[in-house]
Formats: sequence, C-alpha cells, structure tokens
Amino acid sequence: MKVDFWGHEFEVNMVVGCIGGFLIAIMSSMFGFGGGPFMVPLMTVALGLPMYIVVGSSLLAIFFNTAMGTMRHMQFGNFDLLLFLAMFPAALLGGYLGPQIAKRLSPLVVKRVACVGLILLGLKLLGLY
Amino acid sequence: MKVKFSVLPLLALAMMVLPITQQAQAKEEASAPTITLDKPSLDNGGEITVSGQAPAGSQVYVEVYSVEKQVRANRFDSKKDPKTGKVPYMFYLTHEMPAAYKIFIPKEMAPELDKAKADGSSWKYSEVLKKTGANAAYNAPAKIKIDRYQATIMASILGSRGNLLDAMNEKDSKRESMKLVKGRFRKVDNLLAATVETTADGAYTAKMKLRKGLAPGKYNVTVTAVTERIQEGDKETVKKVKSEVASFENNVSFPTVYLSTAGTSINLLWPFLLTLVIAIFGVLMGAGGGFILNPILVSIFPALPHTIVAGTVMPTVLFAQGSGIYNYSKIKFINWKLGIGIGCAMLLGGFIGPKLTELITLDQFKFAFGWILLVLSGLMYWQTTPGYLEKNKKEQAILKEFKKRAEECAKRGEEGTKSCPTEQK
Repeated sequence: MKVDFWGHEFEVNMVVGCIGGFLIAIMSSMFGFGGGPFMVPLMTVALGLPMYIVVGSSLLAIFFNTAMGTMRHMQFGNFDLLLFLAMFPAALLGGYLGPQIAKRLSPLVVKRVACVGLILLGLKLLGLY
Repeated sequence: MKVKFSVLPLLALAMMVLPITQQAQAKEEASAPTITLDKPSLDNGGEITVSGQAPAGSQVYVEVYSVEKQVRANRFDSKKDPKTGKVPYMFYLTHEMPAAYKIFIPKEMAPELDKAKADGSSWKYSEVLKKTGANAAYNAPAKIKIDRYQATIMASILGSRGNLLDAMNEKDSKRESMKLVKGRFRKVDNLLAATVETTADGAYTAKMKLRKGLAPGKYNVTVTAVTERIQEGDKETVKKVKSEVASFENNVSFPTVYLSTAGTSINLLWPFLLTLVIAIFGVLMGAGGGFILNPILVSIFPALPHTIVAGTVMPTVLFAQGSGIYNYSKIKFINWKLGIGIGCAMLLGGFIGPKLTELITLDQFKFAFGWILLVLSGLMYWQTTPGYLEKNKKEQAILKEFKKRAEECAKRGEEGTKSCPTEQK
C-alpha cells in the first residue's frame, strides 16, 4: 500500500503491519496496557517507516485497540468504576506534569533508568528474586 | 483398615467412660454449641473473639463469611484429565462467591496448614479441608450457583465463553466451589487459620483475625462441632452439631472504599498516587504507564484480581490517547489511511484479548507480564544505542521542521498549497 505524507511517498507492507498489529492488540488488550512501545518499533523497524509518520499514526491505530478492549472488558465485568475514578484523574495529572518534567531531564538517562527498572520488575514477576 | 486399629483403643476407652457419663453425654450431644462474639463490629479488619460451649471432646470449627458482598470468581480448566487423557477446556464462573471467607480450625492442626503452605501456590484446598476435617464446616460457598461453559478454540477466537452446560450435581458443584474458593483467595492464610482452643469440657474460644481490605458489611459466624467421625472404608460419616448464626459488622470508611467488582476494600489514595507517579514516568520514558501500572498493582494489592486491573487500567489511557490524536490531527500529523488500516487489525485483536484475560490465572498473568517487560526493556535499551540515537536525531530534526510548518499553516489558515497539504492519502 502506498502512503503519502507531507509530499513524501512511502510503500507500506500492510500484511506485516496488520498481522503485527493484530498480535500486539491481543497481547495489550489481554494484559491491559496501551501497546505504543511495541507498535512504534513494529512500524519503524518492520515496516521501515520514519519516526515522524509513525508517532501520530500508531497512536490512531492503538486507539482502535484500546476502545475495543475497554468495551470488551466492560462486557466481561472487568471494569471497576471506583478504582477507575481513583486512577483516571491521576493519569490526567501525570500526563500534564510529565512533559514539564521531561524538559529538564535527559531522555537518554531516563531510558536507561527505565530499562533497569523494567528488568527488575520483570524478574520479580517471573519470581526469580 | 488402618483407621479401624487406631479407633479401637479409643473405642475401648470410651466404653469404660461411657457408663459413668452416659446420661450427661447424651444430653450434651444433642445440644448445639453456643456462640458469643466479644464485639459487634470491626474497623477494616482486626481481631474478634468467638467463644462458647460445645459438646465435650468435640472438634470445633468456626466458619466466617461475608453475607452481603458477593463477587465473581472463575476458573478455566485446561489441565489434562489423567484418567481419560482429554483436556476439558471447561470454564467455570460464579457471581455468588462470598467476598470474604475463612474457616478457623482447632489449634492442634497447625502443622497441616504449615505443610500446605510449604507447597506454595500449588496447595490443594480440598485436600487440606479433608485432612483437617474442616470440610464439615465448609458450608457457605458449597451451594453457590456455578455456571459451566464448554470453551472451544473457535469460541474463544470469536470472544465468547462457549456453550453453557447443564448445572452440575450437588457433589460436583461443591468440589468445583472449593477450587473457585482457592482460585479467588489463593493463600492458605487467607482461607484457614488454626486458632480454635478447646478445653476438656468443650468450652472453646477462637481469636479470629481478619485482614485489612476485606469487604465491609455483615459477616456471619457459625460454629460446627464434630462429635464423632466414623470411618468405613472410603466413606466417612461425620456427626456434627451446628450453632446458631452470630454476626458482626466490618466497617470501612473513606478514603478506604469497597470495590464491588474486585471484592476488596482499598485505600483510594494509593492507586491515585501510584498512577500519578507512573503516568509521569510513562511520559518521561515515552511508553504508556500501563506497562508498569498493571504489574505493580497486582503485586502490591494481591487482593485485586488481574482481570479487574487489566480491565480498569485500559480505559484510563483511552482519554489520553484521544486527546493525543486530536492534537496530532490538528497539525495534520496523522496518516489516516495507515492508522485506520492497522487500526482495523488491532480492533480484531482488542476484541479477542479481554476474553483471554479471564482464562489465565494470576500466576500465569505475572509470568507472561514478566517476559513482556523483559522484551520491553530490551527495546528500551535499543533506543539508547548510538546507532539508534544517530538515526533518531535526524528524524527528530525532520519532525521538528514538519511540526513548525504545520503550525504555521494552521496559523495562516492557508490550505491546499503544496507545503500545506489538506489531506494525506
């Protein structure tokens, strides 16, 4: 499929994109997260698209998944309103404060710290320590 | 056969004592245990003592359960049946599980519980109940209505629970209820405690500790005194007397609230603070917070079922994504064709995923999530490698340039020219 973006034309392999998106969507809706950190590498590496076309478009694709996942979770009775009401304002506030803090920090350091944190959390979930 | 031998000396002893106390015993055996609670209410858990008089020489069990609050419990049976070699793929679901449930057993049986604890998460509730004799007191969850679905791969793909089968018979239903109870409360300590002390004349006291975060409202307490167990081959006949029902209230006050679908009380401040910190951190590292929020929530609030965590965290990011899309679309930074194309595939995936959440246990959830996080940390590390940074730098520059142009276009309101495309195809 040909995609046109700001006067540039890109050739996108939709089969790879759709299969990858489908699998990521199953995983992310099953475990209840967004899926962005997996979608962006999929689109940049597997589809070979540049970052600037991926940021917005991947968000749109993920939105479909999140909306559907939310509906299905509600249908299966997995949604707790009170817990949601406690977390939702915090998520909004965090989304507002985050970018302001981000300006003052080096993204490289943040990512390396996050990397270590994720490994530790991952190993803990696997029960290795 | 073994049992007979061990019963014999006891029997002989009883025969000798019987003539003396026969009359008194006969009278006592007929009478149900008395029951008194030392206080009428608890404040988000705590200790409450139950005491009374049971027939002399009987084993006393105390069953405590939440009356008003009931929760959902489910189990997916995909273990191969050792007899038939077939995998049942059966999905069990109830909405009537008491939100809190515990049996207090005689103090002497503590070693049995320790043994079960040593088995880790694979301990068997029904076996422990049998060994400690506590199944005589297992009443409240025994008669809950359990739905049984025959799941198939096709049905799971379509996102349905499968065909609803006929109700189970009483015995099977009771056995399954034990598995559901175990799946719901998981730990030995949550379900059983050996704290009942009895004196020779049958007076009993039990200190009942209820942990924090249990359901509020009315709790019922019943005492079951087992006076005699007769073992005939495999069959055991239990003679027992039950007390009347005593009740107490468990009070929970704001900011601790009861989450009705999760079946636990929680101080709302904690999820709020946790989400705030993780949302900020999520922005910093450029990944959604759900990755970290979900595993941390299930780790520090073990009483929150993973299905609820997944189902509740997901909608919180919905609005952030929506506003992100709106902002990008304002500066025409979304390629609709690409986004919707892949979005349709993701729509399908999002339809199937939530069904799978309830098919796995908490341990499987944690295990899979552990691997997801390791992969993610790999991706995160890759983003800090020099090669990636170099490429990223160039693209960031282009991105900035495009953004600037887009903002200028939006300002001038000038559309349709080559530098300000109206729509991407």
